[in-house]
Amino acid sequence: MTPSLVFHTFTLMGEYKSIRLDAVFNALGDPTRRAILARLQTADARVTDIAGDFPISLNSVSKHIRMLERAGLLRRTVTGRDHTLSLNAEPLAEAAEWMEHYRRFWEGRLAALEAYAVKNQRKRK
Amino acid sequence: MNAAAKATTAVIVRRMIAATPEDLFDAWLDPEALGIWMRPEGIRHTRAKLDARVGGSYEIIMQGDTQTYPHHGVYQVIDRPHRLVFTWLSPGTEGLSTSVTVDFFAAGQRTEVVVTHEQLPHGAHESHTQGWTSALERLAEFAPAVTLP
Repeated sequence: MTPSLVFHTFTLMGEYKSIRLDAVFNALGDPTRRAILARLQTADARVTDIAGDFPISLNSVSKHIRMLERAGLLRRTVTGRDHTLSLNAEPLAEAAEWMEHYRRFWEGRLAALEAYAVKNQRKRK
Repeated sequence: MNAAAKATTAVIVRRMIAATPEDLFDAWLDPEALGIWMRPEGIRHTRAKLDARVGGSYEIIMQGDTQTYPHHGVYQVIDRPHRLVFTWLSPGTEGLSTSVTVDFFAAGQRTEVVVTHEQLPHGAHESHTQGWTSALERLAEFAPAVTLP
């Protein structure tokens, strides 16, 4: 891979991903929604079962579930009347990747800052 | 936000550099210097224009072989030679305002530079800070379930 391609990929991925990232981070920023995700980590569950876990109305739980779905964190399978939810961890990986890209970017910049500062000092001496 | 909370919200990168805090701090606000070191691999040249005042804006244009990558933002804290805070928007952040904090810690003959890049929406969205903080804490918690490509 040529150097330019590396940066190109980085930027394009950042463009595509930042849209969903916002939804992911917002979806994770609530204790009920995190509890729903935690529950689905071990096994799939029906919407009605999940609603039974929380001391809030089915309507509220549905709203939380919709936010998680919008962020791409849940998959819903409908069989007759049963709506079964399963966890989709892929957007979480994208979020982690987004952070990794910036980590690499800043590591590179600080290395360049060091090279610049050291060279500058030599010049002054 | 305190330092402990901050540690969980963002991308944090640190580097010990054999230079004074003043010299390193100035390298962030000097367009000529930025043109030299704010140039990632694959970028032919970087052009920086800036107004180094709180509330002043900057523009860093990175020119690749075929594409141009514009970055811009506004300086929020300029505390020479300790701390620099600015917003950071680029095609990579899709119009979202992210926040970059640069801290400079003198350590004998050297200086530790710490960059904290947070996806914190500014202004009216300040109330979301808590949400973002816990969101990222949770991200780490869920990480074992995640398979990176």
